[in-house]
Formats: sequence, C-alpha cells, structure tokens
Amino acid sequence: MGHTSTRRSSAMSDNEHGFFRHGDNAYLAKFSESEREVLTNLVQQIIELLAERVDHHNDDPLAAMVGITVHDTPPEDEVLLRLLPNAYADQVDASEFRRYTESTLRQKKQAHAMAMRMHLQEAVDGVIELDHDGANAWLGAMNDVRLALGVRLKVEENSHEDLELLAPDDPMRAVYAVYSWLGWLQESLISALMDDSE
Amino acid sequence: MVKLNDKIEEELKAIFNGDIPWVTIVWDDPVNLMTYVTYVLMELFGYNKEKAHELMMKVHTEGKAVVSTGSREEMEHDVARLHEYGLWATLQRGDQAL
Repeated sequence: MGHTSTRRSSAMSDNEHGFFRHGDNAYLAKFSESEREVLTNLVQQIIELLAERVDHHNDDPLAAMVGITVHDTPPEDEVLLRLLPNAYADQVDASEFRRYTESTLRQKKQAHAMAMRMHLQEAVDGVIELDHDGANAWLGAMNDVRLALGVRLKVEENSHEDLELLAPDDPMRAVYAVYSWLGWLQESLISALMDDSE
Repeated sequence: MVKLNDKIEEELKAIFNGDIPWVTIVWDDPVNLMTYVTYVLMELFGYNKEKAHELMMKVHTEGKAVVSTGSREEMEHDVARLHEYGLWATLQRGDQAL
C-alpha cells in the first residue's frame, strides 16, 4: 500500500496542520492561494479526464435514461483505467457490468471532484470547512488525483525511495512533491475523521 | 421420484435459489494509503476500527482480502462503492479460488 512521510512536504506549503477537527461535525484547513490553485487545477483535470469518456447512447432514449452506455471495454488510457477498473476478472462479466455501471461511477467521481472545486472556490480567507459528507468527497477526490499522479509517476510498492531521489531538474520531482503533499493532506483529514469514531 | 444424492441436491438448490455466496475482494495497490483503506472499509461497511484495520493489513501483507460476502447483486453494489472511493476491488463466486 501507499506511503506518506509523516513530515509535511516543505516545498509545497506553509500549512502546518492540514485538516483538524472543529466541534462535532466540522473539519477545517487553511490553504494559501497557491495551494488552492494547485488543488483546483488538479481536481479540474480529473473532471476533464472523466468527461473525455463521453457516453454514446446509440440514440436509445431508454438506455440513456437508465444510464446504459456503449462502453463495455475498459478505457485505453492508463489513468482512466485505474479510475474505472474492471469489476470482474472474467472479461464477459466485466464488460456487462461496465455497460450498466460505468456512467454512474464517473458521475460519482465527478461529483466528488466538483464538490472539492466548489469548496476551494468558496473558501473565505483560504479556510475550508467541511462536514462529514464534504470530507468524504474530498477524500475520494484527493484519492483520485493521487491515483492519477501515481500512474504517471509509475508508483510501485517501495518505489517511493527512488522517487525521493529524483534529480532537482527532473520534472517528475515536482509531480512527486505534489503527490506526497496530497498524501499528507489526505492523512490529516483521515486522522481528524477517525477521532470521531473512538 | 428420482432420488438425487444429497450433494447434488444441495448444489441444485443453491443454483436455483441463487444462494451460493459471492465475495468482494480488495487488492493491494501501491498508492492507496493504509489509513485511507481502513477508513473506507469502516465508512462503507460499518466495520469497527479493529476489523477494518485487520482486513487492511490482510490486503497489505497477502495482496488481497475478502471484505464482504453476500448475493451477487449485493457484491456488485459493494464493488461499485469501493470503486467510487478508488479502492481496487473485484467480485466473484465464493467457491472460486481467490
């Protein structure tokens, strides 16, 4: 499974705490303008990537209404395939399941990302305040971003040591910094949420 | 009346009643954080922290773990929810080799 360093990524932020719990059902974090820009940009890319997988309903209004699409083959794009994986090892079952469920899955992932984008846009003085559902949307959206970056960085078990050693001029170094920072941010939100369930 | 042996009778009953259990499997993945996997299992299945942590550790150390059992329809629902949160999950009949 994934790793995240316990110390925050100093290159990314002056945000010392990430998310913390406030009262019974609020989770707060304060972000700088550049952090909000980075986060907005990343979720925007997820929204656009998912939208590339357009539905074609074959002009069948009933199929369109119940969300059946002609997508019964997995996406060719590696990132999309990780976001929309097969549900069965068996290809026939996987295709059938995909045809009936993929558009719903895409809508749910887009809803997470759009909720996060909206919170970022509406932040007052850079403060994000989430309730439990909002926190879950952020976790899902941040995770989708990390999955996407993880594919591009070719993250594998134990490869974080190599990624820590990327040359300063390697463009992937900045991508890895964002990836690590997101992991740290995600971890802080999970800690705040888990405090509730003691 | 033809008397089938008990084993076959049981099999047939299972097929027609659709009560062969299906399973949802979560697979290890190098990106998803351990705490995140634990949290998602608690949130989606209502497992307590101990059970969710135990399942997460099984995924982490053995590469996969059965996280829920039930009808095919129920497992399809579970897999869809796990995919929504980015966990790598599949379903299959419970009597198939993992």
